[in-house]
Amino acid sequence: MADAPTWADDARSAATAALDALPALTGAEEQWRFTPPADLDMNGDTPAGVAAGTGTVALPAASGRAARLAFADGTPDPAEILDLPDGVIVSELGAALETHEALVRDRLYSLAGFDDRPGALNGAGWDAGTFVFVPRGVEVTLPIETILTATGATGRVFGRTLVIVEEGAKATVIDRYLSPDLDGVVQASTVVELFVADGGELEHVSYIGWGRGVRHQATIRAAAGKDARVRSVNVTLGGDVVRVEPTVYCRGTGADARALGLYFATGDQHFEHRVVSRHEAPQTYSNLLYKGAIQDTAHTVFFGNLVVPPGAPGTDAYQTNRNLILNEGARADTIPFLEIETAEVKCSHAGAVGRVDDEHLFYLMSRGVPEREAKHLIVYGFFQEVLDEISFDALREELEAAARAKVR
Amino acid sequence: MADPILKIEGLEVAVDNTPILKGVDLEVPQGEVHALMGPNGSGKSTLAYALAGHPRYEITGGSVMFGGQDLADMGADERAQAGLFLAMQYPVEVPGVSVMNFLRTAVNATRGEEVPVREFARLFKEKSDLLTFDPSFADRYLNEGFSGGEKKRHEILQMALLEPAFAILDETDSGLDVDALRIVAEGVNAQRGPDLGVLIITHYTRILNYIRPDVVHVMFDGRIARTGGPDLADHLEEKGYVEFGSAETAAAPR
Ligand SMILES: Nc1ncnc2c1ncn2[C@@H]1O[C@H](COP(=O)(O)OP(=O)(O)OP(=O)(O)O)[C@@H](O)[C@H]1O
Ligand SMILES: [Mg+2]
Repeated sequence: MADAPTWADDARSAATAALDALPALTGAEEQWRFTPPADLDMNGDTPAGVAAGTGTVALPAASGRAARLAFADGTPDPAEILDLPDGVIVSELGAALETHEALVRDRLYSLAGFDDRPGALNGAGWDAGTFVFVPRGVEVTLPIETILTATGATGRVFGRTLVIVEEGAKATVIDRYLSPDLDGVVQASTVVELFVADGGELEHVSYIGWGRGVRHQATIRAAAGKDARVRSVNVTLGGDVVRVEPTVYCRGTGADARALGLYFATGDQHFEHRVVSRHEAPQTYSNLLYKGAIQDTAHTVFFGNLVVPPGAPGTDAYQTNRNLILNEGARADTIPFLEIETAEVKCSHAGAVGRVDDEHLFYLMSRGVPEREAKHLIVYGFFQEVLDEISFDALREELEAAARAKVR
Repeated sequence: MADPILKIEGLEVAVDNTPILKGVDLEVPQGEVHALMGPNGSGKSTLAYALAGHPRYEITGGSVMFGGQDLADMGADERAQAGLFLAMQYPVEVPGVSVMNFLRTAVNATRGEEVPVREFARLFKEKSDLLTFDPSFADRYLNEGFSGGEKKRHEILQMALLEPAFAILDETDSGLDVDALRIVAEGVNAQRGPDLGVLIITHYTRILNYIRPDVVHVMFDGRIARTGGPDLADHLEEKGYVEFGSAETAAAPR
């Protein structure tokens, strides 16, 4: 952006330099074993601005939102609907670099910098950005939503979100990704940085609802201060190849982080979720719960890691990943991992891949429900454990409906 | 006599390759209520599951005609759509699926058309009232945490909503308290008529005093060993099954 302040231009140059300096990803790297980096254009070979077929996206109604920014193909010219308490800022991030420099400058890129290719790529190229600031003690009851759409007018879209929730403040923020089915390929790169100060509460929902043709690398990082509560909810339903990497950092004593996810992969979709919680202070709690259903010849990968470095006694950390395979030929890999270097911690991890229970299926079918529909009922039931954790009723219902609509 | 709604001839069924039913012959004319009794392990539930189309219950011989259709060619869902209903001895819990959502899906599936939400709500209220089924269960997950008796009532509620042509009640009476038994029996009796055939699997005459059967069958070691009138049930209650074979055979048929 031409009128960005010098510090922001410098950051962009640094990202570009990092992109040149970092070795190209080959797929031989341990973290890239499951999703070929080339599928997500991690080496940045796709020229921007190449059309991938066009369509239009009907934006969902903005009712029930405190604010909404919608970016078409990454163009930073969002429509805004605002009904916000005093002091709360919801702004296009490019503009906020200057108008809210004091708030933005220290935090932007501090959780997700340029030390890996996804970070550098996004740092160098992002245009559709959202900035949310909730001042000390203020509660925003309705969700604040960003919608990034891809219509195929350009071959690449970049999104970046920065959220700051101050001490004792409370908010819900949704990042939603939508497109129609496209004939060509659109590469999407998004980075979300979430800061929740002492005693603050944030529920962040990433809802990936792309149509056919979109490939997406998403990084989500959340830092929770003392006694702060963070919910990172991730719903992945759309896109051809999607890799989501949420990390929650428990940075203050008493921090409470939950990472919840559900995914439903059908056709030949490939989804990878790499979910990490890092406990950097004593007496913190984290709980990762991801559930997925896999149908047709789709393939999903879950890698979960609980990291407890030295100096975090009293850590309480759990992770669970469960997968339901709906037919022969669908595949799920689950790799639950622990890196614990502190004594006196409570940690557990579990990963499972199973089939639909025959007795459940029979019970539903014996009431006339055809097999495919019965399996889907079971899948929605299976997801319910995650959906039940979403505190905002209307949002939970929307996500339920989205999961259902997927296979209609 | 009406055409049989159910006509079973020489039915052989194996579970995990173990033969359980060894040639069952049984006929229920439409509109009649038959009772099926027999010692533990004699194969009553096996017959019920095989009729309902549980994939683990493999038909290895004989035939089952249901209202003129060969059941062997039909999936469990198609059998239900054709009007067959099984109230299960042990209804399973399905996590996360709400009772309301399940019941609506089932009613739509068996009717083959979308029942409007309001009409369904009315239907649900009417049938819940009839069976004194607590409507707050609608928001709970399917059978999850239901008591034994609540599960049984829920089975009969489904029967009332789905209005089958033929219902098999597999020990619906066990686990019901006296009042619940009476209510469930009244529910079944309310549906009784020329368009409903019923097969009641039970160990006790108590339910048969509420729902008088036209015919009583005794299953023993995978076959129908005797068929008689309602008094046969009283006779069995008094004498047990020793006359059909040794007590050991009755307990563990080979
Ligand atoms: N998978 C299996 N492998 C071998 N035998 C089995 C299997 N499943 C069931 N059986 C046996 O089949 C027999 C018939 O069981 P079934 O449940 O039909 O009896 P039942 O007449 O309904 O008994 P109850 O009155 O106790 O309900 C039993 O001996 C049972 O152990
Ligand atoms: Mg039985």
